[in-house]
Amino acid sequence: MALPQRKTDIGPPHYKQFLPAVIQKNYGKWKYHEVLTPGTMVHVGESGDKLWTVRVASPRILSTDTIREQCDIAEKYCDGHLRYTTRNNVEFLVADEKKLEPLKTELKAKGFKMGGIGPHITNVVHTQGWVHCHSACTDASGLVKAMMDELYEYFETKSLPNKVRLAVACCVNMCGAVHCSDIAVVAVHTKVPNINHETFKNMCELPTVIGSCPTRAISPDPAKKSIKINADKCMYCGNCFTVCPPISIKDPERDGVAIVVGGKINSLRTSPKFSKLVIPYISNEPPRWPKVVAAIKHIVEVYAKNAKKHERVGEWIERIGWERFFSLANIDFTFQSIDDFTFMRDTLRTSATFKW
Amino acid sequence: MEITELQNKIYAFCEAAKGKKKLKEKDIIKGVAEAESVPGDEVKKALRAMIDVGKLMYSYGGGASSVEIPSEEYLREKGLLK
Amino acid sequence: MKKYNTPLIDDLEKGPWPSFVTEMKKAAKRSEMSNDALGHLEKCYSTKMGYWKHGGIVGVLGYGGGVIGRYSELGNEFPGVAHFHTVRLNQPSGFFYTSKALKEICDIWDKYGSGLTNVHGSTGDLVLLGTKTEALEPIFAEYSSRGWDLGGSGSALRTPSCCVGPGRCEWTNYDTLDLTYNLTQEFQDELHRPTFSYKFKIKSSGCACDCVAAIARADLSIIGTWKGDIKIDQAEVKNYAKTMDINAEIVNMCPTQCMSYDGKELKINNKECSRCMHCITRMTKALRPSGERGATLCMGSKAPIVVGSLLSWVIVPFIKLEAPYTELKDLIRKIWDWWDENGKPRERIGEVIEIKGMRSFLEAIGVPPQPQQIKEPRKDPFMFYTEEDVASYKAKEAEEKKTGKYKF
Ligand code: HEM
Ligand code: HEM
Ligand code: HEM
Ligand code: HEM
Ligand code: SF4
Ligand code: SF4
Ligand code: SF4
Ligand code: SF4
Repeated sequence: MALPQRKTDIGPPHYKQFLPAVIQKNYGKWKYHEVLTPGTMVHVGESGDKLWTVRVASPRILSTDTIREQCDIAEKYCDGHLRYTTRNNVEFLVADEKKLEPLKTELKAKGFKMGGIGPHITNVVHTQGWVHCHSACTDASGLVKAMMDELYEYFETKSLPNKVRLAVACCVNMCGAVHCSDIAVVAVHTKVPNINHETFKNMCELPTVIGSCPTRAISPDPAKKSIKINADKCMYCGNCFTVCPPISIKDPERDGVAIVVGGKINSLRTSPKFSKLVIPYISNEPPRWPKVVAAIKHIVEVYAKNAKKHERVGEWIERIGWERFFSLANIDFTFQSIDDFTFMRDTLRTSATFKW
Repeated sequence: MEITELQNKIYAFCEAAKGKKKLKEKDIIKGVAEAESVPGDEVKKALRAMIDVGKLMYSYGGGASSVEIPSEEYLREKGLLK
Repeated sequence: MKKYNTPLIDDLEKGPWPSFVTEMKKAAKRSEMSNDALGHLEKCYSTKMGYWKHGGIVGVLGYGGGVIGRYSELGNEFPGVAHFHTVRLNQPSGFFYTSKALKEICDIWDKYGSGLTNVHGSTGDLVLLGTKTEALEPIFAEYSSRGWDLGGSGSALRTPSCCVGPGRCEWTNYDTLDLTYNLTQEFQDELHRPTFSYKFKIKSSGCACDCVAAIARADLSIIGTWKGDIKIDQAEVKNYAKTMDINAEIVNMCPTQCMSYDGKELKINNKECSRCMHCITRMTKALRPSGERGATLCMGSKAPIVVGSLLSWVIVPFIKLEAPYTELKDLIRKIWDWWDENGKPRERIGEVIEIKGMRSFLEAIGVPPQPQQIKEPRKDPFMFYTEEDVASYKAKEAEEKKTGKYKF
C-alpha cells in the first residue's frame, strides 16, 4: 500500500481542537477549584459552569491497549476528551455532574487507581532505566512501582502536611527534575571506569574526552594512543562514558542508588531548592529494592509526624536544621553528605550555632 | 556562485573533515562562507537543500549533533541507493 | 512467538500501583518486539545491569532529531530489540487529546512499532518506544500526513511544553497553551534541525506554582506573575476561617510578613508582597491576583552534568505576553545568537553565562541590571570597570557638583 505524502515542519496540532466545550467556553475565565477527594476536583468558571476532573495513576509506560481503554472511557463519560499531566497521570474531564459517579464506578471496576491531588503523593517523575537507556545504573520503572506499591495509601487516602514529590533518576544525567524533589532516588556508579584502549583510538576524540571530565581526572596516554584516569580524582559521573562508548562504567555489584531530600520547584513561601544527599549508597536489589523503599517510607513518615501543616520536606528541614533531621530520622551522617564539589563554600557551616 | 558549485564546495569541506572532526552546521556555514566569500545565509540554504535530499545528513554522537556525509547503509535505508 | 520465563519482573505485576510490566505484556501479545523487550528486561533484572548500546544515527530525511536510536548488545539473543528506536511525537499544548486522535496515533503505532509508549516523556513529547530503522520513514509519512510532527532531540530546540494554564486553572497569568503552540510553530526549524551548541528547552508555567517544573529543567523558564494587588473577598475569608486557622496557616507563613488578620478582616500590604502564591493557593475562593499580568523570564537551569545543577536565574523580571509575542521572540533570537557565538559544543546556556559572565549576556540581549535579578549583591571587590563605566560615574559626580546634590 502506498504511503501518504509526508509533510515537514507542521508542528503539533492546534490544542484548541482537543479542548472540551466547557473549557472552550470558560477558557482563561476560571474562578476557583475545590479538591473533592484525592482523586477528584471541580473547577468553577466565572460563568458558573463546572468541570470535574478525575485523576488516574499511570505507570507512564503504556501499551496502546491501555490508551485505547482510556479512550473508550473518555468517549462514554467525557465526550471523548482526556488529558495527561506533567507527572504522567491521566485525567478524565467531565462536564456533566451526572456522569461523575458512574465514571468513577467504572474506573474502579476496571482497576484504574484514582488519587494524588492535594497533600498526597502522586506519580513519580522518572525516565527510562534498563527499559530503554544505555546510561542506566538501575531500572527506573521497577523502582517506581516498588515505591508506589508501598506508599499507595498516601496516593489514595492518607494526607500529609503538604504534597511530597518523588522522583527517580536512573543515572546522574537526571533526565527528570529529580534534583528539585522532596525525596528522590539517584542511581550512581561507585567505581572508576574501564577503558578499552583498542577501540578508543577509532571511536573517540581525545580532546573531547579529556574535556568531558568535570574533575580533570583524565589525561592522555600517548603510548596507548588512549587516555588514563586518575583514580583519586574520578567521582564516577560517567560523563566520559557519555562521550566515548569504549569507556565502560557499569558494574552490577557496585552500581547502586543514593537518596536526596528537601528539594522543591514552586516558589510558595520559599524559593525553589535543590535536593540534598542524605543516604549515599544502597545496593541495587531488583525486582523490588526493599531497602530503598523502606528508606523512603521512613523519611515520609518522619516528615508526616514532625512537619507543620503546609511545610514541604525542605521547608521543614530548614526550620529544624539538618543536624536535627539526621537525628530525627536516625540516619548516619557520612562524608558523602559534605560537598567537596562545586557547592562546598555555600554548604559548610560558618557559625558556632547548632543543635545536638 | 552557482548553487551546485557551492554545494560541491560544501561537500568537499565535509569530506576533508571526515574522520577528523565532527562538524556542526555552523562550522560548515562559517568555514565555507569564509573560504568562498559568499554570505552565510546562502551557504545555509545550499546546505539545507543537500540535507533534504540525503547528500548530507544530520548525525549525533558524543552528546552533540553534527553534519556528515551519509553512509551507504543510510542511503539504502532511505531508498536513495539501490 | 517465543515465551520467556520472567519471574523477577512478574513480581512487579503484584501490588496496587499500575504495573508497567503488565503494560509490556499486553503489548507483547501482539508484538514480537515487545515480547523480546520483556525477555531483555528480565535479563537486566537478573544480572543487575543494562544492555543498551550508545545509540546510532537514525532519523528521517531532512530532520536532525525526533528519533532516538537505540540498539541492544544482545541483538542475537533478543532479535526484536536489536533495533528499538524511540520516536518523539510533538504533543499538543497542555496534553489535551480527543479519543479519536489518540486512537489514530495508536493504530499507526501498532502497525509499525512495538505498541509501547511513554505518555509522556519528561520533555513533553508523546514517546513511541521501540521500532526498527526501516519503519521510520513510513511512520513519519503516516503521522505527518495526519497532522502530527516529530519533537526535538540532539543539539536543538527541544519540544516546548507548558502547564494546563487557562485550560483549567484560575491562577494563570498568561495563555501558556497559546504561547507554547505559537513558539513551537515559530521555531520549527530550530526544533528539527540541530544547529545549537547543545539542547535548549523552553517551558512555560502560568504562575509561581510552576507545574511544569520550568525553573529546574528549562534553559528558558517562563513563569507567570502579576503586578497589581491581591483582591480579597472578605466574605469568603470568613468561610475559610470556619475550617482554617488563618493566622497560623496563612498570615504567619507569608514569607514577606505583609499580611494581617484580626479575626474579622484579612489585610495585605500589597506593595511588600513578593507574589509567592502561598496564600492564594490556600484560599483560592477568597484571594485573586489583579492588575497587569505577564511573566518573569528565567534562564539557565540544568541537571548536574557536568559541573553541578543549576536553577534558572531571573533575567527579565517582568514581560507582558500577548500574541504574537514579538518582544519575547526577538529576545529568544538574541539569546541564541549570543550562545552561538560564545558556547562550545555541549555547553548549555547557563554554563556559558557562568563562564562569560552575566554582564556579557545581559548586554548582548539588551537587558539592564536590576535588583530583581539577584538574591544579594556580590560579596567580593573584584569587579570589572569599563572605561565607559568610570566615565559615567565621573559624569554623575560632575553633575552633582553642579546641582549640589548627591545621587548614589
Ligand atoms: C559518543 C558520544 C555519545 C554521547 C555523547 C552520547 C550521549 C548521549 C546523550 C546525551 C543522549 C541523550 C540525548 C538527549 O536527549 O539529550 C544520547 C542518546 C543517544 N545516543 Fe548516545 N551517547 C554517545 C555515544 C553515542 C554514539 C557513539 C552514538 C551514535 C553513534 C549515540 C547516539 C545516540 C543517539 C542517536 C541518541 C539519541 C539522542 C538524541 O537524539 O537526542 N550515542 N546519547
Ligand atoms: C548530560 C546530560 C544528559 C544526558 C547524557 C542524557 C542522556 C539521555 C539519554 C541517553 C536518553 C535516552 C533514553 C532512551 O533511550 O530512551 C535521554 C532521554 C531523555 N532525557 Fe536526557 N540526558 C541528559 C540530561 C537531561 C536533562 C537535564 C533532561 C531534562 C531536564 C533530560 C530529559 C530527557 C528526556 C525527556 C528524555 C526522554 C526519555 C524520557 O522521558 O524518559 N535529559 N537522555
Ligand atoms: C575580599 C577582599 C578584601 C577585603 C575584605 C579587604 C579588607 C580590608 C580591610 C578590612 C583592611 C583594613 C583597613 C584598615 O586598616 O582599617 C584592608 C587593608 C588593606 N587591603 Fe584589603 N581587602 C580585600 C582585598 C584586598 C586586595 C585585593 C588588595 C590589594 C590588591 C588589598 C589591599 C589592602 C591593603 C594594601 C591594605 C592595607 C591598607 C593600609 O593599611 O593602609 N585588599 N583590606
Ligand atoms: C586581604 C584582606 C585583608 C587585609 C589585607 C586585612 C588587613 C587588616 C588590617 C591591616 C587590619 C588592621 C589591624 C590593626 O588594627 O592594626 C585589619 C583589621 C581587621 N580585619 Fe582585616 N584584612 C583583610 C580581610 C579581612 C576580612 C575578610 C575580614 C573579616 C571577614 C577582616 C576582619 C578584620 C577585623 C574584624 C579587623 C579588626 C577591626 C577592628 O576592630 O579594628 N579582615 N585587617
Ligand atoms: S537519567 Fe540517565 S539512565 Fe535515565 S534516561 Fe536519563 S540518561 Fe538514561
Ligand atoms: S567518570 Fe566522570 S569523573 Fe570519572 S573520569 Fe569519567 S568524566 Fe571524569
Ligand atoms: S503553574 Fe500555576 S497557572 Fe499553571 S497550572 Fe500550575 S498553578 Fe495553574
Ligand atoms: S502571595 Fe505570598 S508574599 Fe504575597 S501575601 Fe500571599 S503569602 Fe504573602
